[in-house]
Amino acid sequence: MLDTLQMLVTIAVIALATFTTRALPFLFFGSREPPAVLAVIEKNLPPMILLLLVIYCLKDVQWLTAPYGIPELFTIGVVAGLHLWKRNAMLSIFTGTALYMVLVQFNIFSFL
Amino acid sequence: MVRYREYKRGACERNKDLFITAFKTTIPVLLGYIPLGMAFGFLLDGAGYHWIYAFIMSLFVYAGSGQFLAVALLSAGAGLTEFAIATLLLNFRHAFYGLSLLEKFSGVGKVKPYLIFALTDETYALLTTTNVPQGISKSRFYFYIAALDHLYWIAGSVLGAALGSVLDLNLEGMSFVLAALFVVLTIEQYFSSEARFPFIAAIGAGALSLILFSPDNMLLASIVLGTLILIVREKSMQRTQREQKIQETRKTQEMKEKYKGNGEKPENEENIGIFQVKKEIRSINTSIQPVEDKIKEEN
Repeated sequence: MLDTLQMLVTIAVIALATFTTRALPFLFFGSREPPAVLAVIEKNLPPMILLLLVIYCLKDVQWLTAPYGIPELFTIGVVAGLHLWKRNAMLSIFTGTALYMVLVQFNIFSFL
Repeated sequence: MVRYREYKRGACERNKDLFITAFKTTIPVLLGYIPLGMAFGFLLDGAGYHWIYAFIMSLFVYAGSGQFLAVALLSAGAGLTEFAIATLLLNFRHAFYGLSLLEKFSGVGKVKPYLIFALTDETYALLTTTNVPQGISKSRFYFYIAALDHLYWIAGSVLGAALGSVLDLNLEGMSFVLAALFVVLTIEQYFSSEARFPFIAAIGAGALSLILFSPDNMLLASIVLGTLILIVREKSMQRTQREQKIQETRKTQEMKEKYKGNGEKPENEENIGIFQVKKEIRSINTSIQPVEDKIKEEN
C-alpha cells in the first residue's frame, strides 16, 4: 500500500509515460517534413488499425474450450450483417451488444 | 446591433447542434466506457485505494488498459521504473495512431495538446472515421468528441470505485459494445476508402499475433507487424513501377533508333494524339460559330 505522496508520484509517472507515447509522432514530425513512405502509411493505417482493434477484442477468447468463441463470432457476424444491410450505426451497435449480453448472461451456448 | 445579436444567436445554436452531433457520435463509447471504467474503479477500490485516486488517474492518465495494468502493478508492489517501462510498452501503439493524424491535427489550434493527450483507442477510431459536418469548425468538433469520451471514462471509474461494492448490476458483456463499435467503424472505413490491402494486412497480422503473443502484447505486436507489411508492400510496388518505366523508355529509344536508320520521320502515337486534339478544337470552334453570330444579331 502506497501513501498519498507515493501514490501521486506514481500516477504522475504513468500519466507522463502515456502522454509521451501519444505525443511522440507530433514531437518528431512537428518541425520536419515526414518521409514520403509515411504519406502512404498515413492513409492506410486507420482501416488497418480499426480491423486490428476488432481482432484485439477477441484476445481473451478461449478457442479450444466451450463455447469456442462462438458468442463473440456470432455477435460480430450479426453486427456486420446488420450494418451492411441497414447502414445504421446505432441499430447495429445496440442490437449486437444486447444480443451479446443475453448470450453470455444466459449462457445460451452452454449445450456445446 | 440587432444583426450582430442575431448572428451571435445563430452561432450559439450551431454550436449546440454541433455538440449534439458530437454527443450522438460518442454514445457507443459512453455505453462502453461506463462498465469498463466501473470495472477499473472497482479493482482500485478492491486494492484498498480511495475513490479520489480513481478520479485523479482517469483525469490525468486516461488510458483504459494502462490503468488496469497500473492496478495490477500496485498490487504487486512494483517500483517507479517498472511503472514507467510497462506503461510505455503497453501504450506505444498510440504513437502509430499519431502518425496517421499528423495532417488531420494540423491547424486545430489551441486544442491540439488536449486532443493528443486524449487519444485513446476509441477516440482515435471515431476521429479517423467520422466526417466533420460541413461548414463547421473541425477543432471544436474533435474537441467535443475527445472531451465527452474523457468525461464518460472519469464518470465510470468514479462510479465503480465509489459504488462498486454496493451496486449489484449485471453488466457482463456490456463492454462488447466497443467491439461492435469497431466492427461498424471498420465497415465505414471499407466504404470510404478505396484501399483494400490494409484489411488483408490486418487479418494476417492480427491472426498471427493472436497465436504468437499474449493477450497483453498482441495489439502492439499486430500494429507493428501490420505497419511493416504495409511498408514492404509499398516499397515493392514502387520498385515494379520504376521497372515498368525503365522498360518503357527503353522501348521508345529502340523505336527512335529504328526510324533514324530508315531516315524517315516517325509517325508515332504522340503525333497522332496532337492531330486528334487539333481536330477536336476545330470542331468545337465550328459549333461555337452560330452562337456567336446570334449574339451579334441580338446586340
